[in-house]
Amino acid sequence: MTPTVLAAGAAAASSTPPDVPLWVTTIFAGLLVGLVLCLAFEEKIHAKKSLIAGVFAVISLFLGDALGLLPVGDVVNIWGQHLHLPVWLQGVDWPVIGIILGSSLFVDVASGSGLFTWIAVKLTKASGGDPYKLLWSYGVMTVVFSAVLNNVTAMIIVGSLTAVSLDKLDRRDKLLGFLLTEGLLTNIGGLLTLISSVPNIIVGTTAGISFMKFFVVAAPFVVVATVVTILLAAKQFGITRLADDAARARATAQVAGFDENEGLSSRAFFSFSAVMTLAFIVCIAGASALPVLRDLGMAFVACAFAVIMLVRYKSEVDRFYRAVDWDLLGFFAGLFIVINVMEHAQVLALIGRGLEHVLAMGDLLGSGVLLVASAGFSSVTDNIPLAAMLAKILGGLGTPGDSAFWWSVIFGANLGGNITPIGSASTLVAVTIIHKNKLPMTFAGFVKAAVPYAAVQIVLATAYLLVFLR
Amino acid sequence: MTRIDQFESVFRAAAKSRYTPGEVKLDRIMVVTDLDADAGRRYTARIATFLEGVTGIDSAAWTALHGETETVGALLEAVQNHEPDLVCTYRNLHSGSFRWPYTLGDHAAVLTQVTRAPVLLLPRPEDMTDEAVNNTDRVMAITDHLAGDARLVDHAVAFTRTGGRLTLAHVEDDGVFERYLDVVGKIPEIDTDTARELIRARLLKEPADYVETIRQALAEGGLGAGIQVASEITMGHQLSVYRALVERQRIDLLVLNTKDDDQLAMHGLAYPLAVELRRVPMLML
Repeated sequence: MTPTVLAAGAAAASSTPPDVPLWVTTIFAGLLVGLVLCLAFEEKIHAKKSLIAGVFAVISLFLGDALGLLPVGDVVNIWGQHLHLPVWLQGVDWPVIGIILGSSLFVDVASGSGLFTWIAVKLTKASGGDPYKLLWSYGVMTVVFSAVLNNVTAMIIVGSLTAVSLDKLDRRDKLLGFLLTEGLLTNIGGLLTLISSVPNIIVGTTAGISFMKFFVVAAPFVVVATVVTILLAAKQFGITRLADDAARARATAQVAGFDENEGLSSRAFFSFSAVMTLAFIVCIAGASALPVLRDLGMAFVACAFAVIMLVRYKSEVDRFYRAVDWDLLGFFAGLFIVINVMEHAQVLALIGRGLEHVLAMGDLLGSGVLLVASAGFSSVTDNIPLAAMLAKILGGLGTPGDSAFWWSVIFGANLGGNITPIGSASTLVAVTIIHKNKLPMTFAGFVKAAVPYAAVQIVLATAYLLVFLR
Repeated sequence: MTRIDQFESVFRAAAKSRYTPGEVKLDRIMVVTDLDADAGRRYTARIATFLEGVTGIDSAAWTALHGETETVGALLEAVQNHEPDLVCTYRNLHSGSFRWPYTLGDHAAVLTQVTRAPVLLLPRPEDMTDEAVNNTDRVMAITDHLAGDARLVDHAVAFTRTGGRLTLAHVEDDGVFERYLDVVGKIPEIDTDTARELIRARLLKEPADYVETIRQALAEGGLGAGIQVASEITMGHQLSVYRALVERQRIDLLVLNTKDDDQLAMHGLAYPLAVELRRVPMLML
């Protein structure tokens, strides 16, 4: 058995692909299609993502090994030690898992301090209860929370507040418009930083894009897309300023009843959480440049901050462990394993050959087509397999880190989530809150309402990509 | 519990009821008795003394009907014609049933439910002593739903004399609470101890927060200046707790709601209190 060099990762092991018969590749391609279809119909088959990915990971590994596709044997770590590390463990992108686990725990504990609800209530009061100002406040808050926390948490916080505050203001007739707009804005906010969404993390880390570089490139688009989306929503849903002083005074009195301190568990922990959140953003942003952190990476930063926050609840940390989205983490692990097997079975190379035709169209047409195709694919199934697969293929094709193709995948995978309610987890949360509030919203109804927004956003993204990034 | 529920709960809890002072109009006061003219005049004069210091009482126009409303129909017609802002009367009007203290009598029972004007239910003339009915120094507003009940507070504030003490009492029925906790104890998905602790704390927090906004509003608006606002927020058997509070604090006037949107009969708590606390004046809204 030939040892694999662990430091170089699984990609090194597959740098000299075995001669895989086409029929074998076809079988594995069929498995990949099966996985994607099962994920697309997750609700229909009543199975969690982690289980779907787990089942396909087990089948892929079993078949892969039975057909002699997988490199087996010891691996050598950077100290030259031989380790027996199963091939399927090597397939998992542990830094990505670490970033997601660490930041989820950090956000959960920081949320418990009441920090984010405090900000949300403060903004509500600052709006004076004016629906137009509320739309802007909640819209911008959705984008910022999506960027700093994650799309789903942002939608839950802002969506819940929207339902309560519009109820208090007797503006339930505008609730649907607000929730829909916020759902669409989560995926725009998810574009702002490298850690704002999972596709960003996967594609960004594969392409070697730093946090700051990502932010500088994405921020102008996010600002423009946010403004355009809010303006369109205000027009479509008839959300205007209050007409007279009496109405303004009444609305101000109604929102004055909100107590921003209600959710605070302790003043000291609130202040600590605020400082730690800022420090978290600074450290994540500087992880590629700061000494020590650049060696240990973003996953270390995320997990270290989670550990520091958990000290506050040292005797009951299990409560936060229970709240971790293990389904999501299990899904990633399973997905990475499947994709790793697909790489050995030459399925990714097969797709890559197809993708090469798109890339051959040139920076202008190729990146535009890739963006639109990524968006279309992301709209009907999970954008994470797409991002993981395309990242691996683009990496395998030797695409330079500053190529516009990476951004095509990032923009497409995020914005595609705005076309259908199942396109992203946050739009699904938006629909859940809509239904929880007994508002009518069918799958087709969502698509009908959302497609104009998604189209405008995708056109804007394509134009931005072609003008500034190619 | 989903995270959506968690955050909704936080925001619902943050959306608190705030007390906004409202105006209490006392332009027209009607006194209804079954006494003869002289006794009626003395009774009316005693009421006027009792109400000295009530906001807006100085400029009120008084109408007295002594022995003119033998039937309930006649009483309601009189009230309709005069459109009073306050009706002053007592229990068992035009009836000998006052000897058996188990009812309010037809007149008072119907009047409190039909008229929109508050009814000041006073002790019967034979109990209308200086000791029993002196002034409105110690007023208590009672409810099982204080948060958001601005009208009740407005009247309680208006009827408390300057320098007096207003007690805002909120008693959660522990019988109902235990009944629900008993059911919670049979549901494996809900931790019974946590439910008991959190529900109890939340039930008592909301009225406490509302009382705080009342104090703030009175201080900011200069209304109720010189009134000491106290609160009694607890759990227990409502009737027993209120009765004990009234006796211990030697309350001069009880302010309570009598109307219930869901029923024609008097509000569940008001009737037994009105029947039992016969010597305590009650402002029934």
